[in-house]
Amino acid sequence: MLECRSCGAGAPVDEHFCPQCSRILALGRHGDYFAFLGLPRRLTIDAQDLEKRFRDLSRQFHPDYYYNATPAERLASLERSSYLNDAHRALKNPASRVEHLLAIEGLPPAKSEDGAAKVPPSLLEEVFALNEELDEIRELRESGTDPARLRARLESARRPIDEKREEHERQLRELSARWDSQEQSPAAEKRMTLDALRERLLERNYINNLLATIEREVANLSAGSGQPAAGSK
Amino acid sequence: MGKVVGIDLGTTNSLVAYVDNGVPVVIRDDGGDALVPSIASVGEDGTIFVGREAQRRLLTAPTRTVYSVKRFMGRGIEDVRGEANLLPFRISGETGGVVRIGVADREFTPPEISAFVLRELKRRAEEHFRKRGEFDFEVDRAVITVPAYFNDAQRTATRDAGRLAGLEVLRIINEPTAASLAYGLDTGNRGTIAVYDLGGGTFDISILKVEDGVFQVLATNGDTHLGGDDIDRLLVEQVIAEILSRGLNQPSRPALQRSAGSDRESDPPSQHWPVGSQRDPTLAKAEGSAPQPSPEAIQEIRKAVIQAKWDLSDVEETEIRVEPSPGVPAGYRKRITRADFERLIRPLIDRTLDPCRQALSDAGLEARDIDEAVLVGGSTRIPLVRRVVQELFAREPHSELNPDEVVALGAAVQADILLSGRREMLLLDVTPLSLGIETMGGVVSKIILRNSTIPASGREMFTSGVDNQTGVDIHVLQGERELAADCRSLAHLHLKGIPPMPAGLPRIEVGFQIDANGILSVAARELRTGIEQAIEVKPSYGLTDEEVERMLIESFEHAEADFEARLLIDSRNEAESVIHATDKVLRQPDFATIAAEQLEPGERERIDAALAALKASMGDTDRAVIQEKTHALNHATQHLAEVTMNRSVREALAGRNVKDV
Repeated sequence: MLECRSCGAGAPVDEHFCPQCSRILALGRHGDYFAFLGLPRRLTIDAQDLEKRFRDLSRQFHPDYYYNATPAERLASLERSSYLNDAHRALKNPASRVEHLLAIEGLPPAKSEDGAAKVPPSLLEEVFALNEELDEIRELRESGTDPARLRARLESARRPIDEKREEHERQLRELSARWDSQEQSPAAEKRMTLDALRERLLERNYINNLLATIEREVANLSAGSGQPAAGSK
Repeated sequence: MGKVVGIDLGTTNSLVAYVDNGVPVVIRDDGGDALVPSIASVGEDGTIFVGREAQRRLLTAPTRTVYSVKRFMGRGIEDVRGEANLLPFRISGETGGVVRIGVADREFTPPEISAFVLRELKRRAEEHFRKRGEFDFEVDRAVITVPAYFNDAQRTATRDAGRLAGLEVLRIINEPTAASLAYGLDTGNRGTIAVYDLGGGTFDISILKVEDGVFQVLATNGDTHLGGDDIDRLLVEQVIAEILSRGLNQPSRPALQRSAGSDRESDPPSQHWPVGSQRDPTLAKAEGSAPQPSPEAIQEIRKAVIQAKWDLSDVEETEIRVEPSPGVPAGYRKRITRADFERLIRPLIDRTLDPCRQALSDAGLEARDIDEAVLVGGSTRIPLVRRVVQELFAREPHSELNPDEVVALGAAVQADILLSGRREMLLLDVTPLSLGIETMGGVVSKIILRNSTIPASGREMFTSGVDNQTGVDIHVLQGERELAADCRSLAHLHLKGIPPMPAGLPRIEVGFQIDANGILSVAARELRTGIEQAIEVKPSYGLTDEEVERMLIESFEHAEADFEARLLIDSRNEAESVIHATDKVLRQPDFATIAAEQLEPGERERIDAALAALKASMGDTDRAVIQEKTHALNHATQHLAEVTMNRSVREALAGRNVKDV
């Protein structure tokens, strides 16, 4: 329950305005972006619907409209607007949407726990091959090999990683759809889906780091050859 | 409650606007001029001149006249040292502190100089409302615009300037967004808009999505040190380099004596600008070897190159024409074509492209997704700039609204929204830079990412490192780089009063809140005890609240003197117009006839005496004296005025029937 700072009445936690005096309510310790936006806890979201909810709630909360209000209402407007903006940002992007779902379902964050040090078992083969290739390219670069040739090698080293990522995106979509269909399922089954989602997210973060490493190598090549990065394209 | 206005506080010019019956209008002076040059000058007697008057003093009192101060707002001396060598006024300051501007024996911070400009705008608006016969004409609140890419310190400095000028700053809004509000007024439709804003000193690009009257910024980027000023500086440096290399700064060269005359044949032949082979044209390199031209000469050169720059927006070729000054006795002239000019400024204009691409990519869009491109800022009058924008977005950019005025209009619209609470339109802006804190090893941990819609908030947990530690220091930064050393230091926070506990036990949650102005505030709480922590904030490049308070008190002390100075100027202006009117009548060709036919004996002598007395009093600093003499002249000429008035009416009616009138 929330307590209205304007009239003292109680209000359900997902209400934005006091049912009694209709003033804007203080945010309290809200934690569920889905509920805040009036959405079910599902991973498939209609982007246009999300945008419309965001605009409509912005129109209700924004500090622009509370200039002549009481300090309590102004603070509430600031809190609710900020929270709405956070919620919108998190739910707009499919990956951060999954992250938020995992958080509110009580799973540990899918960020790197022990840093990105631990290679996910499903990626061992690719990571091993890539690191070997990168070492070789670095050596060749230092011994003055033609950057154009090395760039081509980097491109082909990138391909299997790109494929992995696409596969992951597909798996994430499938798992998301499974989660959405499991509303009535037993908790244990739902938990399995969540665990799988978390596993995919961890791998995804790892893949993104690998791709960033390749990008840096490409940038090094360009810098080394005295060409601007854009010149290669 | 007084009036509310929207203010565009620009690098070169500032404007004030308000919403009149639902329509935003800029406030002009009697001559129809909306622009107030953002220039302040300190007179020999301490009088502060602002705007056009200060602009005139650029040439006569360059070391006492401060311009482009927006470039120094919220910045440190180490940021601006590179451009200091061409500034005729002194700038100083401690490393890692606020820039100080020295004029004669006084020292000002940038917000204080900006406050002079704001006060002039406030005065202009009040004058406007008073003349309209409004009972409550005082202007006490304003929406002020800033470049979208301004960081927290620059925004805070702008808000401080407003406070110092006696204005409650209702809101700081971003210039490109303000412009889109002004444009959005008559469209009311939906789409994706790119606002390209190249002003006197700053560049912004903002990508917006407009739907249901909500103007939502998707991404913004820019450069707070790129604008018309830089173009001027390139030209000035080039002219100076040539003046030095041709020895024009030495008084005794016969060839130049000739070209000082107005005969065109003796002008030096037109040469092309050595742009291709040009070295980095910073004069700092030439410093040791060649003497710098005098401040007067630099201002003459600036004036001449700015005129040439303006000309080249309309014509293909013009002449840079520097008037003679003590530093360059013979003056300087040079033909310049638009092609020369474009070659010279191309690298500067190209610097706007990367921010545009970055903003597009942050918005998740391609150039072809942009429905409309809008041009804002005086520098977008340059044809090359228009071409570059057109190429980038593959469409003809909009420039229907005056690029100088559109931002102030938008600020007025926003002021009206805040005041009226009308909800048809809503502006949702973003924070241009990521906010973070310094962690172990000087690495920045980001708390609020750039292009987050504001207001935005973030939280971070802290704990103690040793037993019974009662304070924690936090370094807050803004920027995209990984290392704290590469980001912009905003402030050092010191959390106090943590309850004594074993190391690692306190759980201090620090909440960072960026408000709708894009300005940060911080709150902290120890979660185990629920105790709200006191936070000491030491801004890196800003004024503390105490400093602003002190300046406010000082400005009240000065306010009376400033007010007196203003009244004196008004009295002089009035006297001048009476003198002018009298002179005009006395010089009329048929005055002798009028005098002989209609004036009383001795009347002419009384007029002459009163006129001479008023002219003699013009230099007086006591406005009562000037007013008295003005009154006397008015009185002495009253009969003459009636006579000439009747006469001109008769003449106008001569030969016409009464029926026609």
